[in-house]
Amino acid sequence: MIDQNPHQSILIRGGRVIDPASGLDAACDVAITGGTIAAIAPDLPAAGVDEIIDAAGMIVCPGLIDPHVHLREPGGEAQETIESGTRAALAGGFTTVCSMPNTLPPPDTACRVEDLLERIQATAHCRVFPVAAASVNRNGEHLNDIASLVKAGAVAISDDGDALWPDELMEAALKACRSADVAFMQHCQDPTMTVGSAMNEGAVSMRLGLTGWPDVAESSVIERDASMAIGVGARYHAQHVSAAKSIPILAAAREQSEHITAEASPHHLNLTEDACDGYDTSAKVNPPLRTNADMLAIREAVAHGVITVLATDHAPHTGDAKQLPFDQAPFGLIGLESALPLYARALVHTGLIGWPKLIEHMTINPARLCNLDRLGLGALAVGGPADVTVINPDWEWPFNADQCAGLSVNSPFMGWDLKGRAVAVVVNGRICMTWHKSGGLIA
Amino acid sequence: MWWRMRGWRGEAGGLPSYDAQVMTIDSTNNLLGLQGMDAGSIRALLAPAARLMENRRAFGRPLAGRTVVNLFFEDSTRTRVSFTVAAQALGAGVVQFGAGGSSVSKGETLLDTARTVEAMGVDALVVRHSSAGAAGLIAEHVGAPVINAGDGAHEHPTQGLLDILSLAQSHDRLGGFDLSGLTVAIVGDILHSRVARSAIAGLTTLGAAVVCVGPAALCPDGIASLGCSVERDLDAVIGSVDAVMALRVQFERGAELGDGADGDPGDAGAYAMRYGITSERADRMKAGAVVMHPGPMNRGLEIESAVADGPRCVALKQVAAGVPVRMAVLLHSIGGDVGAGVAVT
Repeated sequence: MIDQNPHQSILIRGGRVIDPASGLDAACDVAITGGTIAAIAPDLPAAGVDEIIDAAGMIVCPGLIDPHVHLREPGGEAQETIESGTRAALAGGFTTVCSMPNTLPPPDTACRVEDLLERIQATAHCRVFPVAAASVNRNGEHLNDIASLVKAGAVAISDDGDALWPDELMEAALKACRSADVAFMQHCQDPTMTVGSAMNEGAVSMRLGLTGWPDVAESSVIERDASMAIGVGARYHAQHVSAAKSIPILAAAREQSEHITAEASPHHLNLTEDACDGYDTSAKVNPPLRTNADMLAIREAVAHGVITVLATDHAPHTGDAKQLPFDQAPFGLIGLESALPLYARALVHTGLIGWPKLIEHMTINPARLCNLDRLGLGALAVGGPADVTVINPDWEWPFNADQCAGLSVNSPFMGWDLKGRAVAVVVNGRICMTWHKSGGLIA
Repeated sequence: MWWRMRGWRGEAGGLPSYDAQVMTIDSTNNLLGLQGMDAGSIRALLAPAARLMENRRAFGRPLAGRTVVNLFFEDSTRTRVSFTVAAQALGAGVVQFGAGGSSVSKGETLLDTARTVEAMGVDALVVRHSSAGAAGLIAEHVGAPVINAGDGAHEHPTQGLLDILSLAQSHDRLGGFDLSGLTVAIVGDILHSRVARSAIAGLTTLGAAVVCVGPAALCPDGIASLGCSVERDLDAVIGSVDAVMALRVQFERGAELGDGADGDPGDAGAYAMRYGITSERADRMKAGAVVMHPGPMNRGLEIESAVADGPRCVALKQVAAGVPVRMAVLLHSIGGDVGAGVAVT
């Protein structure tokens, strides 16, 4: 659990401090005492400090926030738990994650949200904020009491894993979310167009004889939802955008309303349907990996501000579950440990955006999406909570199972050489994780 | 996952010789699909198959004492019987496994079932499964050779080979299996058909042109990525092709009529009118052109009874060709027992 009585004083010295919320990008020291940020300035005194982090050559930024992870607890503890998933989060540089509600049972009542918060309080290594289910049992038939879910502590509403489908239900959910001042996060998948679908509809699915998943099954949902959300005046967030076809729809919607947002995931930014070749179940994900043109369009959408949030959709599965025939294996891959270098690979190393923009998409933008900015998260401000991530942008490392801190290792990126890594994480004023070149995670 | 040739040496005298000396059993002698196989590898299976078609005893009983398991997780009539006849003709013992009445009903996974059967010491696994890629998945995890007898909508390579053997037989191409100049129309439910995927791969690799004909819901434009052309109007091609292969509409795999998509016939009756191989259409085919069907047939839907039982139809010759094809494949995959009285010619 997170230590609620921080007593460390920490000096993070000599780094490039990037705080997109305030526009800061300068060589500075960051001083932390009593769980809050005491000072951000050059050449702060080191005398009497408990811990000094030498950040020369490093980026120092607000603690990274992932608004889309599956911690599997309760109900899927063989795949991940709140304890193991938050270890994975720290290993990847995240200080805050938002947990998706497709658990058994799902957090679909205030009681269940409170139960989840108790579990988080007891075992989480970083901050975890629950996203609560939109419908009873997540079955898309009856709407939950969204106001009470939010009052109990839910930071957003979603039936993630399934789209909230009936028009009238969706409109009612959007109205309730507007009243409760939270975002609705939609899993954009037309269920009628994706019966039995296992991967992107295209040349690879044709060759492999797998049922295809058309891109319009995503874009048509976003189109309907955006027009509804704009009409209602609700905050609407499209999860894990996979298709180029969705981008102009999102762009047009965002011109009409600043309350329409969207996220991109490491895999949709770095992989195509080719990763499924040979029936590689580690690349089976919902929504599916699509074509090179789709991948490039999503990168461009981030570069042009159509997509402003980066989210892993961290989805752990056991090795046994992924050792089934492709059409029977579950969707999803882990993301927390490898996310930062994969975002950098697709967006920074390609020259599309710089580190400040990347960090904005991983800190203040997801914070605003989930109202966490109101707690001071996603920013570095004197007097604000001391959640800080230190990044070595040049560290090259091989991604493999040994580098994973969670319970599951299902990832198509296994064996990739990655560049960039969070090397220290401060949560609530305490150093919770450091990576050393000699290896090892201290959590 | 890859098909590696070994064992068959040259084609001296136009017929293959079987050399027991170079036979070794290793784990890569799988036949998972015709996609990606080169022409030489396909011909090296077809040549002995043609020889076995003439004389089933051409190579004696080189698999005597060997055991082949038919690991069928999905229903089958002709393929299962054909593999059984083929294995027995080579002297092998055959064990039949069906998912019904097995530990599959107790929750055993595909891989556990396959590894359990393999652990009993079998020489080849002939696998049929409703999931695409299932045979390949098993092949990655067992040492014994795996022969794909149909995996979902992916491939049915021995069917593809027997289709080619039948076509070569009817068009006098048995010599070198050069199919250039021939055009084959595959009509009907291409999308859900493993037979079509294997046939398209094998036929085009050996030089034939393939045109797929059907409504968009069953024969989408994307089929062209497999190396064929796509046509909606059967009557536009029927008079110019050398063979028509009629496929069953696989309603059990989700095929639907009446979705209003391009070329949609609406219902079964209209489907027969637009895409069925009728007597009238058969009469318009070129002299020497044949009608093929992999079975099982739905008479009156994709093929009219008069055509199925008529002179152009080679469906039963296809069934007959299946046995020597599967013999050749088993022989390749398993190798053969040097001391089992192999008749080497």
